[in-house]
Amino acid sequence: MTLLEVDDLHTHFISRDIDNRVRVAKALNGVSFSLEAGRILGIVGETGAGKSLTAQSVVGLLRPPAKIVGGSVRFEGRELTTMAPDALNRLRGHEIAMVVQNPRTSLDPLTRVGDQLVRLHQVHSDAAPAASRQRALEMMQAVGIPDPQSRARAWPHELSGGMAQRVLLAMALMNAPKLLIADEPTTGLDVTVQAQILDLLRDLVARFDMATTIITHDLGVVAHFCDDIAVMFAGSIVESGPVRDVFAHPAHPYTRNLIGATPERFRVGGARLLGGQPPDLYNLPDGCAFRARCGFATDLCRTPVPRTHVSADHVALCHFAGQLDAAPDAEAQA
Amino acid sequence: MNDPVLTVTGLCKRFPLGRKRFVNAVNHVDLAIAPGETLGMVGESGSGKSTLGRVILRLLEPTEGRILFDGQDITHLPKGRVRPLRRNMQMVFQDPWSALNPRMRIRDLIGEPVRLHMDMARSERDDRTELLARRVNLSTEFLNRTPSNLSGGQLQRVCIARAIATDPKLIVLDEPTSSLDLSVRAGILELLAEIREETKAAMLFISHDLGTVRMISDRIAVLYLGEIVEQGRAEALFETPAHPYTQALLSAHLPSDPAIPVARHVLEGEVPSPIALPAGCKFHTRCPVAIERCRRDVPAALTVPSGQQARCLRIPEGGNILERKEPA
Amino acid sequence: MSDATRTEIATDTQQGWSTRARNRFIGVFRLSPTAAIGLLIILFFAVLALFSSWIMPHDPVAAYTDRVLQPPSAEHWFGTDGNGMDVFSRVIYGAKFGFGIAIPAVLLSLVIGVPVGLIAGYRGGLLDEVLMRFFDGLRVFPSIILALAVVAATGQSLLNVILVLGFLDSPVFARVVRAEVLALRSSNFVESAVAAGNPTWRILFVHLLPNAIQGAMAQTAVRAAWAVRISATLAFLGVGIQAPTPEWGAMIRQGAEFMISGQWWVALYPGLALIFLVFGLNLLGDGFRDLMDPRHRSGS
Repeated sequence: MTLLEVDDLHTHFISRDIDNRVRVAKALNGVSFSLEAGRILGIVGETGAGKSLTAQSVVGLLRPPAKIVGGSVRFEGRELTTMAPDALNRLRGHEIAMVVQNPRTSLDPLTRVGDQLVRLHQVHSDAAPAASRQRALEMMQAVGIPDPQSRARAWPHELSGGMAQRVLLAMALMNAPKLLIADEPTTGLDVTVQAQILDLLRDLVARFDMATTIITHDLGVVAHFCDDIAVMFAGSIVESGPVRDVFAHPAHPYTRNLIGATPERFRVGGARLLGGQPPDLYNLPDGCAFRARCGFATDLCRTPVPRTHVSADHVALCHFAGQLDAAPDAEAQA
Repeated sequence: MNDPVLTVTGLCKRFPLGRKRFVNAVNHVDLAIAPGETLGMVGESGSGKSTLGRVILRLLEPTEGRILFDGQDITHLPKGRVRPLRRNMQMVFQDPWSALNPRMRIRDLIGEPVRLHMDMARSERDDRTELLARRVNLSTEFLNRTPSNLSGGQLQRVCIARAIATDPKLIVLDEPTSSLDLSVRAGILELLAEIREETKAAMLFISHDLGTVRMISDRIAVLYLGEIVEQGRAEALFETPAHPYTQALLSAHLPSDPAIPVARHVLEGEVPSPIALPAGCKFHTRCPVAIERCRRDVPAALTVPSGQQARCLRIPEGGNILERKEPA
Repeated sequence: MSDATRTEIATDTQQGWSTRARNRFIGVFRLSPTAAIGLLIILFFAVLALFSSWIMPHDPVAAYTDRVLQPPSAEHWFGTDGNGMDVFSRVIYGAKFGFGIAIPAVLLSLVIGVPVGLIAGYRGGLLDEVLMRFFDGLRVFPSIILALAVVAATGQSLLNVILVLGFLDSPVFARVVRAEVLALRSSNFVESAVAAGNPTWRILFVHLLPNAIQGAMAQTAVRAAWAVRISATLAFLGVGIQAPTPEWGAMIRQGAEFMISGQWWVALYPGLALIFLVFGLNLLGDGFRDLMDPRHRSGS
């Protein structure tokens, strides 16, 4: 069942510089995706591609000068972009939960971690404090925190990075959310700890049947912990589909480039990569934004780009989606 | 193999915390790097890998041990006499956004080591700066801009141009690609490999990312709590890792390809504090195959059949250590 | 996005300098109205100081002995003082002293304070302790009393007032720069400069100085306000600049005795001028803080 439906979302940064000129950065340009219960979507892309901004737009956590200028976000059929701030607030932390990067800075340093969990539960439910406390201990247990009784009395600064991330996960789970958005949940953690957290996250998604999206720049995380992948470039999802399909047959040149740059595919001195500047969001070109870096680009790419179905649920935003392997190109020979 | 550019023996770095307490960041490290060779230094946070790089370049003072650079003992050389040596030992830092003086033009940043170490007229220096910029594939139109106008990848190219400006014999690279995007990262590695080929500079490549290290390194050293637990040829270490920590590290690494299965040996717990190091083998608190003896005896470096050296008491028993399940 | 904003984007290239200057002013005003208003006030006084000879209707030290203590009139807008000098012209001329003392004094403070802050912050240790304790010692005394004592001892001249003010205020800049350097000392670009082989003097003056000076520059307006205030106070107390020099503090001192007898204009107008200039400088100082706050920087 589709829980979250994001359709043609546009978010712009509108500001004025010191010379009083209006500047508009087109940060999201028609983002569409949907999430289903029990499935994990991995959103990948380079810095500035709009990954985190997508999450913030969806849950209504944009701060000026960022502003949604078009499109819709429907959660269980309810439109979120036009929802009143306090109604949205009730939804967040209750039915929609978020886990962010930098676990340490996301915890209140002056409150014991157990009390933070209880407080979050109390805000969103009528449960007795004792019941909330019980649930907090259960959730800490669920995220694999050893000896929850004593850890609940710990202060945030006493936790290691991995433990703090577990506490944030427990917080996210307190109100049994239907939708979990994890923004770079393991960035900055060591690989051995990252493995622990991701294993846990996947178990929890299956156990609580949540719809989940993991935002990451690490293709390894997507390859092994996500069901679906969405690749972002310059504020658009340029390719999306089941993880195995996309990795095996990337249809968009940018995805090919991204996968070609991974340690598994990339050989020093071997492949030719399409490096280059990320596009200027203040001055996006017409047509395909990847055009300048693309080895396949033709004049056709100056025209609006169609959404091309490679297979039933594998979609790419490219004129030549699905035809790249036939195209003569230096990259194809590598 | 030629004489090593750098030989480090028994190197230790302790940071005093007062009241006879120390952070034991680097513990008895031995390593050597030959001209044109790249040694990959892998470790998690708190393994002391960045400290090690800085001690080797005398950016931090060594506590114990010996650093032999280019045939000269530089361990306790006075600061004033280290400075001219910096012409031959340069460093590239992790975060290119903060590693460059934001108020200087790119031209002056790249030209700075030349100005400091090479006796050149201004026009000569400018020529060399442009040559360097082109060498790192940086358009010369950026030369008159300041760092805030460049992207992360371009800035890291500037840092590399700085590092190679005086044709150094050793370059220490501290996580040079970890803050960069994937496609940019590959280009930087490509550039480093070319430069190594051309200049025959020795490189110490520090990283927490096994995949990156594998792409560029001839040899790899694995650091855990400031100690090299395993060191050897890159292929051997990846194909037949000898130390249980190396094995766990390799299995925790997620290949960016869903078709490659991951055999998971997830380590329990987290790295102990470097203030109170565990007795015996430093890895025994997290080691899935630790036995009673590991709590007491400090393992010596042993050479395994595949050629690398590892510090584990259970290596003499043979076979893949993590595959064995037996009561401790 | 509205159509209005679109057209603005389209027209912002190819403008004359006056349009650009106006837009820059509007931009600054939007970011920090305080800074913009402060700047306007200071510009007003700067014009008075620079072009005083054209603006002044009378010679500021010409005594019209027949028109002593006249109230404001069409001939003498601000009236005349006890010597029969035109208060309006004297107030205008006084702006010269405001800037003439504040600017060199602040420059001197920078020249002393900034290098001390740089070295103390970068070297740390005993040198830092000694320098900073000495400077703290200077700050413990109420500056006005110290200034009074020193000017009284060294001789009453404009130059001495400037030297004393500049020296007394240098700890402020040393403190600010030292704090910046402490934060920058362990930053990557400084380490990278050391690794490249920079000698200490280059680290200090090429790498640290341009990055550590911003906080000190933001303080200059507030410190200039302080210098204007203290120099006027010194003159008011009869130390430093003496009547009949048209300096505001000296004029207020002179006018104070006539307040009781009802000739309020002699002291009021230089007082107002002093208040406005100090106010303007303080506004600009506050505004600097707003403008430097990276959260107010748009376009990223």
